[in-house]
Amino acid sequence: MKRYFRELSVVAALGAVLLGLAIFAPAFFQPQPLLSLVTREAPTLVVACGMALVIICRQIDISVGSMFSVCSVCAGLLAARGWPLALVLPAAAALGAILGAVNGILVAGLRLPSIVVTLATMVTLRQGLNLVRQGEFVNLPDSVQWFGLSQSAGQWALVVAALALLIALGVAMRHLAIGRFVYAVGTDAEAARLAGIRPQLVTFLVFVFIGVLTGLAAMMNIAQSPQVQPLSGMGLELKVIAAVVVGGVAISGGRGNLWGAFAGLLLLACVAPALTHLHIEAYWEKAIQGAIILLAVVADGVRSRKGGGNT
Amino acid sequence: MNATGKRDWNALLLRHEMLLLYVLVAEWLFFYFAGTTTNRRGVIVGFGTLDRQFDILRHSCEIGLLALALTPVILTAGIDLSVGSLLGLCAILFGKFWHDGGLSIPVAAALALGCGAIGGGLNAALITTLRLPPLIVTLGTYSLFRGLAEAITHGAITYTDFPESFLFLGQERWLGLPTQAWLFLGVAAAVWVLVHRTTFGRSIRAIGFSPEGARYAGLPVNRRLALVYVLAGLIAALAAIIYTARLGQAKADAGTGYELFAITAVVLGGTSIFGGAGSVHGTLLGVAAIAVLKNGLACLPVVMRMNAAEEMSGLLTGALLLLALTVSVLPKILPTLRPKRHAG
Amino acid sequence: MKSLLLRLCFAAALLLASVSGASAADSKLVVAFLPKSKGNAYFLSCKAGADKAAKELGVELLFDGPTDSNAAKQNEIVENWITLGVDVIAVAAENREGISTALRKAQKQGIKVLTYDADAMPDARSFFVNQATPEGIGYALMDEAARLLNSEGEFAVITASLTAANQREWQKHIEARLKDKYPKMKLVAVRPCDDLKDKAQSEATALMSANPNLKLILAICSPGVPGAAEAVKQAGKTGKVKVIGLGLPNENKRYVHEGVTDSVILWNTGDLGYLTIYAGIALAKGELKPGAKSFKAGALGTFAIAGDNILLGKPFIFNKGNIDQFDF
Repeated sequence: MKRYFRELSVVAALGAVLLGLAIFAPAFFQPQPLLSLVTREAPTLVVACGMALVIICRQIDISVGSMFSVCSVCAGLLAARGWPLALVLPAAAALGAILGAVNGILVAGLRLPSIVVTLATMVTLRQGLNLVRQGEFVNLPDSVQWFGLSQSAGQWALVVAALALLIALGVAMRHLAIGRFVYAVGTDAEAARLAGIRPQLVTFLVFVFIGVLTGLAAMMNIAQSPQVQPLSGMGLELKVIAAVVVGGVAISGGRGNLWGAFAGLLLLACVAPALTHLHIEAYWEKAIQGAIILLAVVADGVRSRKGGGNT
Repeated sequence: MNATGKRDWNALLLRHEMLLLYVLVAEWLFFYFAGTTTNRRGVIVGFGTLDRQFDILRHSCEIGLLALALTPVILTAGIDLSVGSLLGLCAILFGKFWHDGGLSIPVAAALALGCGAIGGGLNAALITTLRLPPLIVTLGTYSLFRGLAEAITHGAITYTDFPESFLFLGQERWLGLPTQAWLFLGVAAAVWVLVHRTTFGRSIRAIGFSPEGARYAGLPVNRRLALVYVLAGLIAALAAIIYTARLGQAKADAGTGYELFAITAVVLGGTSIFGGAGSVHGTLLGVAAIAVLKNGLACLPVVMRMNAAEEMSGLLTGALLLLALTVSVLPKILPTLRPKRHAG
Repeated sequence: MKSLLLRLCFAAALLLASVSGASAADSKLVVAFLPKSKGNAYFLSCKAGADKAAKELGVELLFDGPTDSNAAKQNEIVENWITLGVDVIAVAAENREGISTALRKAQKQGIKVLTYDADAMPDARSFFVNQATPEGIGYALMDEAARLLNSEGEFAVITASLTAANQREWQKHIEARLKDKYPKMKLVAVRPCDDLKDKAQSEATALMSANPNLKLILAICSPGVPGAAEAVKQAGKTGKVKVIGLGLPNENKRYVHEGVTDSVILWNTGDLGYLTIYAGIALAKGELKPGAKSFKAGALGTFAIAGDNILLGKPFIFNKGNIDQFDF
């Protein structure tokens, strides 16, 4: 119990928000709109899972928003050219993998700091996309939306896929050797190397992996509407990093888990619809999100000072 | 690392800044020749004119100030993502003090500077007393400061109609140079002296190399760190006032995204994101390299015809950053590759 | 070593200069056209019209702007154009006061300045090509909303961002009209979507579940309209919650035909760009002078001038019946 204190406190905060909503705005819990809202967050969850891995590995990737846009637009263009979905989906994942591999080579191969590398690729990809597309929407054929399923089946499929991925990854991180390698590298790369792990390889793979997840997330997003906006994914990096950190994943690496990241994402994702439901003016939104992040880190700080955390 | 290793590192650094200087000079010469033309009326126009050079200087002041603020921060192995948002918040507060509070411009400016210091102080308090990672603390305040600026103005209010005497600071020239350039140069000189010529400067490098080591050496690590972040807040507030004077308006979206440009400039200037190594003159070269690239591209006939100055400059800045990073680690990477080749 | 490097750089610079430079010394007039935000479909369609006019008139068109709506960058771009010595600058101002300083500087250098889409201070430009006043837009949107709801019921607004100047302006007039004319209608919420279609979709979903009596969503930024329409469609509330907004025909055709979106309001943006370029060139050639009462713009015919405003005409309402006739 004590071991998951940090995660449980986020869950408690989330519970409090939901309880408040249940009392003051029960309309929040109507099944159909709620399913829609949850589906809208499914792609974000997938990227957040990848981000959690990257941060546990003591790296960071701020290029996910730009990668998301590039994958969305490219997948959209392929689909619009009549590629079948069965090919577009792996193509999007492969493109994500390539973009992630570029980050991975620079970070793991050349030992460059990930925050700077991904800052550079973020700007380069975004401006490159602007240069080529000039903001024009991509219109998709009807077969793309909901992967050709009915709407509710499509929504459930996306939510279940995202949750299945979360659970599989969460379990893998805890019980599989490769998962433990990521923790080991994030805690102390030198010690991991002495223990026979190849830290640079693990780091490289983690970057490729977040690229793949971002590509998949882009697909999950374009399946929800018949048009792709090249701007989509703008600001995604901050959203997922905040979610992961609020969920108790330590930015110093090696600590935290995906369940916490999941709870953190839900908590932050609740803010905007909660404000709408409680009829609070929108201009408080950013300040509230900032306050939640600060509160979470302060809680971390206080705990590690008291010696409760295992930093 | 022993003494020899350290000297090598210094030599490397020197080389990095020299390389950047070559790039800057090459860039400048290239744009001077390729970006200057004679127009229909027979007037020389484009990059090579003195007006354009002054414009570049004028436009670089705010990002340059933020980069100066970030240099000591990054030297301590920290980071401050909140400077752009703090710029927005201070601009709003400055406008509010003057417009709603009925205060005179100097008083409002002084108060805004104080608010900047308080904002920096909030970062400092969280980072030092709770020993939290700066990246995350300032990610939180990045949202918080911008959110407060929006909440105060409801996103809607824009403070304008500042007096001419204040706009002089942002839009006119004084002693030949754009007025705000004097402030910028003054701050640059002060930060340079602080980082390179004082014990304070030495101590923040020491903290950047190894905070534990610095602590054992008896340095007041927390106090030094706190000061660095407060200073960053103060400089961000100064940038806010200059920004307001240049545009003649204070609005909640002031300085959005500036933190990224400033960090790029600092890193391009050779300051290691891991702390300990770097220089203020490197940062100034980094700011100049980016500013010249951006403005120069906009003067090139080819780029103008493509209507792509904005995107091209972003693209090339990103590429330049990657190139600079790669070049900076090559001497470290190559020796590790060679033995392998022998072994294979 | 160092001097060698320097010499190399110098040689490279000279080489590149001889390849790419010194080609602008021809005698075409140069018109610079500044949008609020470059990637925005709205301004791209303005540019399409401007391109057409530039071709007909045989002038060179420069098109550059911030990639996001950014007042500081607009000033920087205008100042750059001043040193490039262009002949005409046409600006859609993000910030009235901010841009005016730069525009006055341009006028002092003999550059003809006009504004389109959003005006600067009157003394900083010769003419404003007025597509529709903010008042006209706000009123048109509110009247259309009232017409669809028979002047009663709840509605919500989706805006680009809380800080965007033009959005604030339109919203102000929407609210003023609401207060004056439609006492039985109620504005329940204003939500920002950051110019992101995806976010607009999420916001609209939350708006509908939070306000069960919501009858209409009014999106005043172009990505907001298809975003809100998709949300309504997915909620199965087509027809029950109506969607209208300011947007481009191409992005909304699908929803208009499906009956999700009732109408999209916009002026003909291509004509706006076309007219602006014609007016700018006429200014530079001295054919258009202050005090003129009308102005003939190529294939579009004659436009009335009121004071120093060249009037494009009323905003246009696109609906099922006419939307297919437009391609922008």
